Amino acid sequence: MSNPRLSHSAALILKALSLGYCFGFDVMEVTGLPSGTVYPALRRLERDGFVESKWEPEKEAVANQRPARRYYEVTREGRAAALAATERYPLLARLVPEKHS
Amino acid sequence: MSHRLPSPLPLFDRNLLRIVEKVVPREEREEWSRAWKAELWHMHHCGSHRRTSIAGITADFSIGLTRDALWLRTDSWRRAFSGTAIVCLAPLFGLLLLSTLMALALNGSWHLLGMYLRDPFERFLLEAPLVFVTFTAASRRHIEQSSASRMMCWIKRQVFFTSKTSLTSLLAFMLSVDICWPIHAHFPIIAELFQTLFFVIFTLIGLRWVFWDQEQRCKHCLRSLAMPARVGRPSHNLLEWNGTELICKHGHGLLSVPEMETSWCQSSQWIDQIDAWGETAGV
Repeated sequence: MSNPRLSHSAALILKALSLGYCFGFDVMEVTGLPSGTVYPALRRLERDGFVESKWEPEKEAVANQRPARRYYEVTREGRAAALAATERYPLLARLVPEKHS
Repeated sequence: MSHRLPSPLPLFDRNLLRIVEKVVPREEREEWSRAWKAELWHMHHCGSHRRTSIAGITADFSIGLTRDALWLRTDSWRRAFSGTAIVCLAPLFGLLLLSTLMALALNGSWHLLGMYLRDPFERFLLEAPLVFVTFTAASRRHIEQSSASRMMCWIKRQVFFTSKTSLTSLLAFMLSVDICWPIHAHFPIIAELFQTLFFVIFTLIGLRWVFWDQEQRCKHCLRSLAMPARVGRPSHNLLEWNGTELICKHGHGLLSVPEMETSWCQSSQWIDQIDAWGETAGV
């Protein structure tokens, strides 16, 4: 794949995902971006093969008394794109703190 | 499969989801609805948004889910119409309409436009077939078909080609007329001469594109062929075929375009794959 060029918002979202924020709502909270930007951007990133989405196991969610959520994982191409985006937007690394689980 | 929430969502959220889910393509609706119900549930129960107003967060999520639904709808349209004949003809028609409106604005009224266009249009009716015949005779590349073409496909291709050629010629005509309008009042004869000249140039450029575009389309569904791949080595030209292969994304066939026209490989070849799939399925 050729070197992908992401918008600042898409790069920020990808960075958040690569730092362990897996859900749309988490990404919104940590980046401060509105949901109207985050969710369509996640769809685009998934379409372009930078992230993959999966459903949380139902049993796990039921045990925690909450509905299962769709979570996102960064692919190998996505990791390369996140790295390229960090080089392009050096402040990106400071905007999103690493997730402490 | 139903996925129940531990506690129900507020009435506003449920109604909003019910309304907006109509925008989402049917095959993706269930998953979209499930994902948003879960996100909204988490927003109400787990978020650290307590410092901001719940109304503000709800408004933000309402915009988010609406934009998400619209994105899915536009993406499904993009997938459905990408490279189709309609997407090719619609911009041509739009440009023709725009150039006609420009001519109308320059002339001031439909009556004056009609009077201004009368003589050039009579010339256009004579010039257009001449340019078309000359261009076709001089440059048309033949495409060999590997199997007998279906009648309906052939008719569809000809209708598309005729529509595209007619729209391109009319567009070239309207553009040439618009360009020459400013000098028409002072130098009518020079304007007519230039109009004819511009028309021929625009039509030749347009026809070149029309033929190229027609060649690069699937012979069955008329979608643009994709994924060009270079095959063979140019240095082995005497020993093997080399050129570019393009495929129909819907699996209808393959177009082989030779890099150089040789005595044993003069023209592009369309290889039908529908029959091959049928035979494979039969086996």
